[in-house]
Amino acid sequence: MITLAVLALVFWVPQDTVSGYLVSKRGRVSIGDAMAPGLSLGLMAFSGGLILLEARKREADIHPNGRSLGFLLVILVICLMAFGAMIWTGPLAVALFGVDDSYRNLRDTAPWKYFGFILGGVGLVAALISLVEHRVTLRAALLGVAGVGALIGVFDLAFDDLLLPPNGDQ
Amino acid sequence: MTEMLHYVWLGILSVFQGPAILEIAGVGLPVALVMLVAGLITGIAVGATPGLAGPMAMAISLPLLISAFGFTPDALLPVFGFLIGIMKGATLGGAVPAILFNLPGTPDAMMTTLDGFPMAQRGQPRRALRIAQLSSVAGDTFSDLVLFICAPFLAVVVEAYLDLPEKTALLILSISFVAAVMGRSVGKGLLSVSLGLLVAYIATGNDLSPRLTLGFDVLQSGIPLIAAVLGVLIVGEIFATLERLWLDNHALDVIPVEKRSTQDGLQPGDIRRISPYVGRGAVIGALIGALPGVGSTLAATLSYTMAARRIKRHPQAQPLGTGAPEGIAATEAANSAVSGANLIPVLSLGIPGNAAAVFLILAADSIGGFNPGPGVFSMPDGALNPQLVTVFGIFTLMSLGNVLNWTVGGGVMRAMGGLAKIPATRLLPVVLLVSLTAIYVQETSMFAIWSTLAFGVLGWAMRKLAVPVLPFVIAFILAGPIERSAREAFAASGADPWFLFSSPTSVILLLLALAALMFLGRER
Amino acid sequence: MNIFLKPLLAASVLISSTSVGQAEDWAPPGPITMYVGFAAGGGADTQARLIAQGIEEKYGWTIIPQQLPGNSGLTLATELVKAPADGTAFGMVVSETLTYSAQAVGDPALQLDKFTALATTAEFQSGLVAMAGGAFDSWDKVKATAEAGTPIRFATASDRQADMAWHLGQKTGIDFNIVEVRGGAGVMDGLRGGDVDIGWVAGAQSKSVRQGEMTNIARGIKAPLADTPDAPAITDLGSDFYLDGYFMFIAPGGLDPVAREALGNAIRAVAEDSATEANALLTKGFGGPSIRTGEDLDAYMAEANAAAAALIKAVSE
Repeated sequence: MITLAVLALVFWVPQDTVSGYLVSKRGRVSIGDAMAPGLSLGLMAFSGGLILLEARKREADIHPNGRSLGFLLVILVICLMAFGAMIWTGPLAVALFGVDDSYRNLRDTAPWKYFGFILGGVGLVAALISLVEHRVTLRAALLGVAGVGALIGVFDLAFDDLLLPPNGDQ
Repeated sequence: MTEMLHYVWLGILSVFQGPAILEIAGVGLPVALVMLVAGLITGIAVGATPGLAGPMAMAISLPLLISAFGFTPDALLPVFGFLIGIMKGATLGGAVPAILFNLPGTPDAMMTTLDGFPMAQRGQPRRALRIAQLSSVAGDTFSDLVLFICAPFLAVVVEAYLDLPEKTALLILSISFVAAVMGRSVGKGLLSVSLGLLVAYIATGNDLSPRLTLGFDVLQSGIPLIAAVLGVLIVGEIFATLERLWLDNHALDVIPVEKRSTQDGLQPGDIRRISPYVGRGAVIGALIGALPGVGSTLAATLSYTMAARRIKRHPQAQPLGTGAPEGIAATEAANSAVSGANLIPVLSLGIPGNAAAVFLILAADSIGGFNPGPGVFSMPDGALNPQLVTVFGIFTLMSLGNVLNWTVGGGVMRAMGGLAKIPATRLLPVVLLVSLTAIYVQETSMFAIWSTLAFGVLGWAMRKLAVPVLPFVIAFILAGPIERSAREAFAASGADPWFLFSSPTSVILLLLALAALMFLGRER
Repeated sequence: MNIFLKPLLAASVLISSTSVGQAEDWAPPGPITMYVGFAAGGGADTQARLIAQGIEEKYGWTIIPQQLPGNSGLTLATELVKAPADGTAFGMVVSETLTYSAQAVGDPALQLDKFTALATTAEFQSGLVAMAGGAFDSWDKVKATAEAGTPIRFATASDRQADMAWHLGQKTGIDFNIVEVRGGAGVMDGLRGGDVDIGWVAGAQSKSVRQGEMTNIARGIKAPLADTPDAPAITDLGSDFYLDGYFMFIAPGGLDPVAREALGNAIRAVAEDSATEANALLTKGFGGPSIRTGEDLDAYMAEANAAAAALIKAVSE
């Protein structure tokens, strides 16, 4: 972590900011855009050092084991798949069912605008419940449907100007 | 002084004469008041549900509220009303499952289980709930009074005596303090702070080309505040809890008590018995609450320990841990007394001290027209400061919330007893979907969802590695003000590199920051 | 009623209007995304939302506002330039986004010629502002204090304003301590808190000036300020440039002239109609609507672009 911070300090921060640490403009020196991130990275390196010192004094803390990393990975895959489904279902439906228009122009038109959100949302809730309960139940899917239905009611039906995912990105 | 009273009056009016939600016989029902009641009930409900907590409910409802009320100054009081309602309700609701099922609904109700559950087991759940309600509301009310008196005073002092360099030093002091007191070690606290600062500095800054974007266009507008805050605080918590439930499905299940004694309800003499403990608890809570970062859990623990020590000196008294009313009273008074005092640094300095305060700042920030900080309390000559009216509107709402908690809070608490039986395994996935959707609706960009998930992973990892998450969030919020005030101070001083040490006040504040890091962190 | 239904009908059958060629018949092929380059809740944001609301009511088009603030409007520009140029995406910025800021950042993809200017809505009421009754409430006091050797803290809310402050200092022989703060509200907070002495504000000072809390010690635009008609122009004090500008709507470059005319007309119709909320806000908070469209607007933008280039050159010398 310390090395990472130092590397970032030397390469990333000055490269990715226009004004560097200090900048001379309009006849004056002023603080550049790299100063604050630079100082925070310095603080990070310092805290890394402190943690090393502290770790030496007492027994090491619990580290995440493989099992829990695996669990997190599964959760992330579920989320990725669910939101992937959300993004692609709508445009796919438009393409498949031969409507002569782009999904962008239909993004605020029922029923097209709901397809992605329903599939992705129900999938997310049902998959997560099944994962945690170690069994696949109809109840999980129904809960997903209820959640998605409530959200559509709250955001889409109640407010004109709001777009459900993924329709704002079109 | 009369001018101040005038503002107080305007604040009260702003609640009662604000936009009405519906009219009954020509008398409008102010929407801010309705939102307060709704928030209060929601708060008690989420407090009573293990696995949900006040901040989570505030996080989810914030985007909803903003969509509903829009970005006009009229939106401030209804939105704050709801959020304050949740804040006040959750501290009350947290005691419900703690007493009935030996399962704290919110972390700060941990100590409530020690005496509340034994009392309920003895067949007096109503009495325990009633004592919890009275002590909690008393603590809360006291804390609010402290807030009403101290916040304006502090703001005026800050504005009168602190110039730009001192404001920078004060901000540095507050994040150092937060880093030192939260979590297990100073190193980890500082790590959390530095991460928060760094992430906040992406794509902000003064240059017209945003910094640290690695060339990605999506990063041009920076990490959405709501994505970072909700990701680390809420999604991280959901991931961690889901994992715990995955390992043990019944980790959050409840064991109901069936026994009922005839002698339930408040007993004669109870009030006199608990009063001194409530008083002490309230003072401890308010003192601790006024410091940013020191949470209500610590206040509850401290107050409980002090009460236990005191009880031991009276051999004939019922010892704590066996269902003594004093134990419930000491805990609930202290953890509730944190919430009002916690708003002192929020309103007068713009520095959030706990998760609930974070969401109040987030709300003010999103809606606009209200910038917590010393400017809120200024009374310009000949002009009306609408922010000060809003502050007194908020104070009015808080007082009304207390009145409601005194009167109907107990009934709502009893009604919410069953919520603890909802299995968290089914609740949390729905909460996750709701949070992500709410974030999307506010930000209208998939990038916000991806970043929320990424910050969820960060929050999960921080929990695993025992790195405290709140310093991250507080640093994220204060990053902008720190950089801006430093830059402004530097520029205003005519590029003096020693601007931070230019006045005794700022040197003292910086020394305090150093002292906080060196000494406060060592004690645990 | 027919007049309102017609465009709606047109939208629903999705005729490709470009070939028809009449601005009155034009309707967007889908819902319009309106990016707002300002923080939610501020005056500029409210203005944009009210105009969108007015267009929805008058024409039946669907407009979905989306916040995209930051970086003096360039964040919005970066996103908008990628959007389809069919009238379903436009955004509200200030004119200096596409002139001064675009030139200062130098990215060829963000220059004025990559966008289509639709319509302005209101002109800046730029003033050099100080607290009324304070030690800096007239230019003479500022000058006298500076000559006595006290550094003057000058708040600015954008790079252009900072350049203008520096330029003014050069021309008047005052070495200002230029303090860059966030937005006009930041300037005014700084003045109130005594953190800065004077600062540029582009219109948000109006209420405070009318209430006698603050005063315009000089004006940054050609015409006299509505609130302080006798404030001297900065060009009279020595500046070569004005700090003028407009709030305006822009669309991606290469927009069909028919769509451009239709959108410009729609914005004008709403902003100039005294029955709309948008008009009320423009009148109350922005010195009245000031709508420029078409070639008139193109001419202004070209002129402002040249002035921005000259300012950048003057400051870098």
